[in-house]
Amino acid sequence: MTSPSLSREWLRRNMTTVGPIVFVVAVVVGFQMMNPFFLRYQGIISLVYSMSYFLVAACGLTFVIMTGSFDFSVPSLLKLSALLCVLYIEELGLWVIPLALLVCVGFGFINGLFLAKFNVPSFMATLGVSIVVEGIALYLSKGFLQIMDDRAFRSLATTFIVGLPSVFYWGMGIWLISIFLAMGTAFGRRTYAVGGNLIGAGLSDMNVARHRIYVFMLSGLLSGLAGVLYMAQMGGGSVEMGADMAIPLFASVVAGGTALTGGVGGPHRTLLGVIIITWIQAGMNMLAIGRDIQMLTFGLIAIGMSIATIDRKRIKIIK
Amino acid sequence: MRMGIAMDDSLLEVKGVSKTFGGVVRALDDISLAARRNEIVGVVGENGAGKSTLMKILVGVYPPDKGELYHKGEKVPFPKDPKEAAKRGISIVYQEKGVIPWLKVYQFLFLGHEDKYVKFSILQTDKMKKHAAAILEELHVKCDAEAFMYELPLSTQKMVEIARAILSVRLESGEDGTTPIIILDEPTGPLNDEERRELFSDLLKMKKNASFFFISHIIPEVREFTDRVHVLRDGKLVANYDFSEEKIAEEDLFRAIVGRESSEYISKQEVKGVDRGAVGLTAKNMTKKGHYYDISFDLHKGECVGIFGPAGSGKSQIIRTIAGIMSFERGELIVKGHKLKASAPPHVRLRSGIGYFSGETGKELFFNWPIVKNISIVNMQKILGKFMPVINFNAERKMAQRIVHRLRIRTPSVNTDCYSLSGGNKQKVSVGKWVERKPDILLLDDPTIGIDVGAREDIYEVLSEMKKSGISMILVSDDPKEYSILCDRIMFVMDGRIQNVLGPDEFRKVVGI
Repeated sequence: MTSPSLSREWLRRNMTTVGPIVFVVAVVVGFQMMNPFFLRYQGIISLVYSMSYFLVAACGLTFVIMTGSFDFSVPSLLKLSALLCVLYIEELGLWVIPLALLVCVGFGFINGLFLAKFNVPSFMATLGVSIVVEGIALYLSKGFLQIMDDRAFRSLATTFIVGLPSVFYWGMGIWLISIFLAMGTAFGRRTYAVGGNLIGAGLSDMNVARHRIYVFMLSGLLSGLAGVLYMAQMGGGSVEMGADMAIPLFASVVAGGTALTGGVGGPHRTLLGVIIITWIQAGMNMLAIGRDIQMLTFGLIAIGMSIATIDRKRIKIIK
Repeated sequence: MRMGIAMDDSLLEVKGVSKTFGGVVRALDDISLAARRNEIVGVVGENGAGKSTLMKILVGVYPPDKGELYHKGEKVPFPKDPKEAAKRGISIVYQEKGVIPWLKVYQFLFLGHEDKYVKFSILQTDKMKKHAAAILEELHVKCDAEAFMYELPLSTQKMVEIARAILSVRLESGEDGTTPIIILDEPTGPLNDEERRELFSDLLKMKKNASFFFISHIIPEVREFTDRVHVLRDGKLVANYDFSEEKIAEEDLFRAIVGRESSEYISKQEVKGVDRGAVGLTAKNMTKKGHYYDISFDLHKGECVGIFGPAGSGKSQIIRTIAGIMSFERGELIVKGHKLKASAPPHVRLRSGIGYFSGETGKELFFNWPIVKNISIVNMQKILGKFMPVINFNAERKMAQRIVHRLRIRTPSVNTDCYSLSGGNKQKVSVGKWVERKPDILLLDDPTIGIDVGAREDIYEVLSEMKKSGISMILVSDDPKEYSILCDRIMFVMDGRIQNVLGPDEFRKVVGI
């Protein structure tokens, strides 16, 4: 019997999966109707470019949100990593990449340390660290536009394979590895445990403090990698890179179905969220809609997504 | 039993008070008691015995279903709210509602009554300070009216709170002649021994100005400092003792508080008197001030030691310390010849072979996880691949199926989320992961709290099997029967100290089951 109540029940239970898919279809159909070039080859290339580095950063943030924390420093680390690459490529060659990644992992470690050892709420700790990183980035770049003219470096993101730029394969590769990490390893299981029941995790044969630090280090690493890819893709940038990225990033993770409360969702869901957010962004760019409307839109999406995904029954106190 | 107090000196008397919650839970059943002028009346009982409900009726938080209230021999209606209670002379000092640390003493004393000190819209702080100093002097509270609350020792803070309760009675009733009746809800909870003595010597002086209902479960202090005591158990008044007339042994009082009717259920498994194996764990003079002192015992292989005592005796703190949730200050904890750190998180203790199982549902379970993940989380090593730290899902599922079968967990499959299981089955999942893990020592913190008899029996059975296989256990519970079923030795803890060590048979005699 396919009574309407049964299908409604099914829909209610699978809302976090069905919702984002419906949203993606609506975004694609909507933009295609407004702009017939949206799904032409050139359009698709620009969609792929806008989502790939973003997906890498979002995967890192997903792990942090899965533990119920938040990492505000992702866009700043992305920027720092990109600037390190462009500033030191002449002296270090491609060795600049591991350097940039190492620096970002280091800042991730500091984030985790503040949370796990000094009990600073992650929102505050990572916001503070992100400001520090902004300062360092400004000092290093002196505010100038920096141009990357190393061909080998740029080919990291811009080599075309089967019609799509290599940055796309980077993004999908990192995404698949993240899914594997979350679903198939003890690391992933423990990440869910910390977000699902922090006290329970402490009683379940795991070092909660150390694990939280690891998760922030992973987020730092992927932010750094996203920065490397961003620089390779764009070929230049200033301290303005990654500005206003925090909210779209957060919105993409949450839109996929990883609730801020932690313990549910995962990187496999983040792809859809990233598609929703970056394609709206790219679609609006194609239609020449200004940054004012874009910021307004993403702010509203972020709030709307939080309302839709947070399990309010589980939260007793909101601060 | 002593009933009936001479009318002339009775200040407040309740007769035949009953209260039912939701038509089912009988919280109070025909309670009658009284307070005379200038005395401290103890009201004791276990958690859930009805002490708090009774006191909340007196201050107007709940209305009673039945019963009468007499004030100075005159019948009066029960108060409808705390303000009306204060008019009748009754006020309460809650256990933890506490003080506001950044207020000065005089500000705190008059908090909520400032309107009495306003003249032309200006607060007359000088007058407040003067009055506060006078009141503190009168009530023998030794502190400066202009000190900040946080600067005072904890016992003095409590005294200021009591002074404030007396003051509110005076201000509300409008006459200074009424002797206030102050209810003290476990006032010594956060205090250490010295502060406790301090508080009591001050209270004895304050008796001149007020009468007290003193709610507590700490037996020695009740015996020492109250004039009379009423014992509540399961909503009934089970005993009244007058210390001025008879000497009451601590054991008698204790039995009155915890004693329960022996139940039809006594475990079929009687695995006691095991021959003593090697020592698995040794505690030497373990001390944490304010919680427990000089705890020393040996735990042998395959033995179960119970730590028994009333709530607040320190038993939970002791087991949590061994689990690594709390730290100790002095003494030693030795496992297999190695001294353990005084402060180490539970996962480090687990590496030394100490597992901790709490029956408090939701504490260690992940409700939105299926059974299979809940069982594997403490058994990760067993299901990871040999060469790569990758979960072997097949091994994981088989492990969970084994546990589900062995503990008779009723569930459609091992992939069912835990929140949809019944309380007893949730508890079994919790135990199940430790069955699989097989730690050397398993700590049981109220392992069967709030679950039905059938599930209990299954859990006892599996715990007994674990014991036979050589796993040592330490049990803390609210249910005396549980000790007699599981334990080989029972340590009596009161006031944070081991008072006595009993065998299961003696234990049964003492608690009357």
